[in-house]
Amino acid sequence: MKFPKLSRLNLLLRKTPLAAGIAACGMTWAGVANSASDALTEKAESIIRSNCLACHSEQQAEPAQFSRISHQRKTPEGWLMTIARMQIMHGLQISNEDRRTLVKYLSDKQGLAPEETAGSRYAMERRLNTMESFDSAEFAEMCARCHSGARVALQRRPAGEWEHLVHFHLGQWPSLEYQALSRDREWFELALNNMVPALAKDYPLKSQSWQQWQQTDKPELGGSWSFAGQMPGKGDVHGQMQITSAGNDEYQVRITGQYADGSPLKGKGSAIVYTGYEWRANLTFEGVGQEKIKMRQVFAASKEGDQLTGRMFAAVHDEMGMDFSAVRQQSQPDLIAVQPAYIKAGTRQTITLVGNNLGTDVSLGEGVSVEKVVLRDANKLVLQVRAAKDSEPGARQVTVGQAGGASLTVYDRISSVKVVPEYSVARVGGNGGSTPKYNAHFQAEAWASGADGKPGTADDLRIGYVPAKWHVEPFDAQAKADNDVHFTGRMNASTGMFTTASAGPNPERRMSTNNAGNLKVVASVKDGGQKLTGDGQLIVTVQRWNNPPLP
Amino acid sequence: MKHLKPVNNKARLLSKVADEDQIEEVVAMQSLAGCTATTDPGWEIDAFGSVTSLCQPMESDLYGCADPCWWPAQVPDMMNTYPNWNEKATNSGENWRNLGSVFPADKE
Repeated sequence: MKFPKLSRLNLLLRKTPLAAGIAACGMTWAGVANSASDALTEKAESIIRSNCLACHSEQQAEPAQFSRISHQRKTPEGWLMTIARMQIMHGLQISNEDRRTLVKYLSDKQGLAPEETAGSRYAMERRLNTMESFDSAEFAEMCARCHSGARVALQRRPAGEWEHLVHFHLGQWPSLEYQALSRDREWFELALNNMVPALAKDYPLKSQSWQQWQQTDKPELGGSWSFAGQMPGKGDVHGQMQITSAGNDEYQVRITGQYADGSPLKGKGSAIVYTGYEWRANLTFEGVGQEKIKMRQVFAASKEGDQLTGRMFAAVHDEMGMDFSAVRQQSQPDLIAVQPAYIKAGTRQTITLVGNNLGTDVSLGEGVSVEKVVLRDANKLVLQVRAAKDSEPGARQVTVGQAGGASLTVYDRISSVKVVPEYSVARVGGNGGSTPKYNAHFQAEAWASGADGKPGTADDLRIGYVPAKWHVEPFDAQAKADNDVHFTGRMNASTGMFTTASAGPNPERRMSTNNAGNLKVVASVKDGGQKLTGDGQLIVTVQRWNNPPLP
Repeated sequence: MKHLKPVNNKARLLSKVADEDQIEEVVAMQSLAGCTATTDPGWEIDAFGSVTSLCQPMESDLYGCADPCWWPAQVPDMMNTYPNWNEKATNSGENWRNLGSVFPADKE
């Protein structure tokens, strides 16, 4: 495969009128090469030549092509795991700085196009309570029974390279043929004869989307941004993100925001963009008192460079995180959030609209009127609104001037409550061991009955996350007999956060078993005079010591 | 299974389940990202979607599982990849705190 190197001049000459127009209204377009930049290429290829050629061979000098390395495409996390594996399994000696250079070079030159990561971003975003489901039962059984299917779906290889991967698995973990879902079938033959062709077809090295992405000019992301997020246990948050270019796809980042309860969100750090759109930032936030919280952002930038979406999560406790979306100020008018996004018919409340280039004409849809503008600027509008008592339940598109894209739901009464996530896993930790606790965060999702007046049917209307009272119960008779509620941890009644108990054998339990258990998570919600409950299942289990970036 | 008679509670539980295919079907479909769906037993959950049939405590059989790399995506395999993982924790019940995480924080 040929990876064209384009100079900065070439790219500037290739600017489209649209790109030039956007640049004129505040956005700048970098001369980010379609693959790695010349300086990065030179440095990275020199590192490969001096560190990797004891095992790999250089198949071609210009453009450089190396055995195995040049015949795969991966995400930044995928390349990091590959190089870390070379260190762990094959004794590669490499500095952290050189490894970072290689991850950047390989992700730029042999990454995945945005379309190719769609549907699997949860793995990079560390949403480990995602229930995976694949059309192919064979794929789930052959690949996704030990690690996530997303780890596979985020790679691209030709058949020969998928075949190498099968041989590597059996060579490195020879007992895999004796495990359940292997010993009942001809695993090796199935892997080579069925899985390799299937993977080469579904996840091929060469693809039209990657070819097109390589030809696409990549925008600079520096500027002022508005963001909105939603954090379990804390609620809605919004604010400003100031991004300053530091060159070479690196940025300085400052965030100032506010949660719905008035508490501040303030932090700063640095970011790097891989493959022209994969935003990764490490930030430090001010916590309570002297405490600092390190958080990581895993976002995808839109092709136009005016939106960033993904998840921001705690670096150590990555189970704690928020959905995050940001829009560049002074770009096309856009509305990214209505907070809160629901209102009960016959009530009055304050709502915040977050976006950019917000105009003056506000439309909240039929039956919802603005009583007072509390605060207004180009990126935020705080309104006191009222929903008429007879307004029709349902979602309304909200617009402010030319900005749209978010909705407000009117409901008459809550008729059911779902616990989100419905099924999840937490892990014991701490207690002097090397693995931190992996806690659990729950939210109560309110729903209204649709036109049929019955909850739990297809026409139900999603209202949104509402405050709830939380507790846990034994999931079944065995959990009750083992007193799992007492041993596995504690649920915070107001935030829905479950903090797991300590790792290690517990002499107070039968057979000194670990503080593992099986719990029912119950949310109680009050609406008018009625009390509703919803429940989910939480497995509190043992720690894992192998915890790479892609699960 | 027809020639085997369950003699303890765990075995009786197993024999209650209709057949092995059913167990695999139920649990494999419940796999969360990165949790093993290999359930004999699994690392996270047992064949019943619970934790009561896992090794108790897991430290008592940890090396019986790590040596033959039974769950290499969750527990460092000591057969090939991390042969010295437990060198400071020969007695897993006493020294489990010395078992390190194998994807260090510096690799970012």
